[in-house]
Amino acid sequence: MIPQIYVMSAITLLLSLALWGGFIYLFSGRTLRYFWLLVLGLPLSAIANLYIKQQAAIIVGQAAHVQPGLGLAGPEWFVGFKVLLTPLVEEILKISPLLIRPAWKMVTSRASALWVGLVLGVSFALGEAVFIAYAVAQNAQYASIPWYGFTGYLNERLMTCFTHGVMTAVFVIGIKRGGWFIPMGYLAAVSLHFFLNIPVVLYQLQWISVEIVNIIAVVTLCIFAVIFERLRRSVYDANEAENSHEIVYMRR
Amino acid sequence: MEIQLADTVRSFKPRPSYGWCWLILLAVIIGALGIAPALALGIDSTNARITLLISVPVTVAFLILAFWFPTMRYELSREAIILRYGPVITYRILLKEIRTIRRKNLTMTIWSSIRFPGIALFKIPYGNAGEVKMCATSALNNILLIETEKEKYGLTPDNEEEFVAAVRAQMEV
Repeated sequence: MIPQIYVMSAITLLLSLALWGGFIYLFSGRTLRYFWLLVLGLPLSAIANLYIKQQAAIIVGQAAHVQPGLGLAGPEWFVGFKVLLTPLVEEILKISPLLIRPAWKMVTSRASALWVGLVLGVSFALGEAVFIAYAVAQNAQYASIPWYGFTGYLNERLMTCFTHGVMTAVFVIGIKRGGWFIPMGYLAAVSLHFFLNIPVVLYQLQWISVEIVNIIAVVTLCIFAVIFERLRRSVYDANEAENSHEIVYMRR
Repeated sequence: MEIQLADTVRSFKPRPSYGWCWLILLAVIIGALGIAPALALGIDSTNARITLLISVPVTVAFLILAFWFPTMRYELSREAIILRYGPVITYRILLKEIRTIRRKNLTMTIWSSIRFPGIALFKIPYGNAGEVKMCATSALNNILLIETEKEKYGLTPDNEEEFVAAVRAQMEV
């Protein structure tokens, strides 16, 4: 029998694609031209987790004579380093598809940078959902749970698609603006990612309960929605408002 | 002898749409997400109870809104246009306060109350129109926007020209 998490993972992928695909389609002016970018980010989470982050932790751990596999039992500075490692690595990796020429050529304006960034972030998150499902499937602790017992995974992954998208959009807009905006965009994306991960770390430290984590997640989603809307308005193409034909029946 | 003039009210239907399907779909998804943890973890689980506590009212609310979908209508009386949706929406627009009537395609913002393809209810912020009180069977396209000094209202009468002509005729009386 296949691990039950894979069933929920398939549902999650379908729902995420429908929800965020529909969202991007409607908000980007009913265009499908960004959708092929969804493929590019899929393997990046596995690459980040299996190779880059793990190797970085081993190298730093060996240099400082700390066992990298100690988790939260390690020295405080090393735990802090590992918490920071995720945003530092992932935010760079998420924009790596822009090294492919056709992908970069799509970033023609700040508005297109927003949508390219959002799609790359969603793509990364979809890959991450599969990677997490794989990791859960390796853990015997979850083997007895039926697929419908993983709704927490579904909810969290649905939200994560959006948050990853917003963080990447912040960075890609920074890149498009050029100069100092490039490191500023990166730092902003890393900071948002770090802020997003704090409740999970606090939960792992057993400082807060899972209920508190869930409430914070909803608040965080609202904050990211505000950030997205501000980004969208800042790159808003004035033509969009004028494109709609208008019939005035009466004015007084 | 006191003569009381009858206040005739004309009723106009909205454009047909499948907006109610979206309300039911959402109700089903939220309901399923609410029930699943209780099935998997048992009703004794705090997580399952909290999820049920949140999802059941939302599911019921969407189902009730879908049930009221056929009641959406626009009434034109001597003094006002009244937009109705079940008992939850009664927007009264005084004819003397109307400044503009126009048809427009609205642009989205991320914020919304009830806005799905084929249905838009309550106050919704739009990119090119600001906050609009909606009682319409379309979320964005071909919205009849009625503007007063204080508010904007969005509606979608089935026979738009007849509706506008009736409103204009009533305003001129």
